[in-house]
Amino acid sequence: MSVRVPWSVLPDYRCFGCSPHNDRGLRLTFDTHPDGLCARFTLDRGFESYPGVVHGGLVGVICDETIGNLIVLARRRPAFTVSMRTRFVTPLLVGREYRCVASLRDGDELFHGSADILDADGTVCATVTAVYQPFALDDVRHQLTLGDDEVALLDSAIARHSIDRSPTP
Amino acid sequence: MTTSLNDITTTVTAIAAAEIGIPAAELAADTDLRGVEGVDSVKVLRMIAKIEREYDIELEDEDVFGVSSVSDVATVVEKALSEKAVPMKGLGAK
Repeated sequence: MSVRVPWSVLPDYRCFGCSPHNDRGLRLTFDTHPDGLCARFTLDRGFESYPGVVHGGLVGVICDETIGNLIVLARRRPAFTVSMRTRFVTPLLVGREYRCVASLRDGDELFHGSADILDADGTVCATVTAVYQPFALDDVRHQLTLGDDEVALLDSAIARHSIDRSPTP
Repeated sequence: MTTSLNDITTTVTAIAAAEIGIPAAELAADTDLRGVEGVDSVKVLRMIAKIEREYDIELEDEDVFGVSSVSDVATVVEKALSEKAVPMKGLGAK
């Protein structure tokens, strides 16, 4: 089932990972998954490293993005990435479809997430583990370029958007 | 709770055998993994990634590229688990 992320209530949000409004971004979309959240993606040569190979840094971006959105959808709290560790198994190839599947472990003060990048056969190409610190939007106003109305809109959206239940209109 | 080296070896053998595509009973603890037909460095890395996820550990790259047998892998997993079990002084006190 397709999932709408809370940030989508901001008409002009530019997240490099998931915004449809960022021409240079990845424009990831998400579906629910038994383990948490899944993003399918195919990257073109604009994201190339060695010829034909996707730049390795994008593996981190995609996993971070999928875990981060899983946190806000499952725990209803936005969070900053504190640390992240990637194990690269095989290079991702330009033009091929992959899936990123993210899951969360229990945690109170810090959220611990993990994600796998899988190819079309379900073979693991990379694994990521990461730790996140949740925050309240009001507490990071000095770092985010959001107006009062947008903070209220986002707070409301985060409370409503969940992978456990459909968002209320 | 601690996990014995024997238990770790059994789990590592099962993961390695599944990755190679042979019955676990055919994989001895001292078998050189990279010497098994059809096993390359990518398959070994994939085993390592699954083992790290199974035990929720992060193995040192020097260990990952230094291991050659199931027994070697089990030993570095045991080391990682014992290090994980040691609480860090000065952190988390509230």
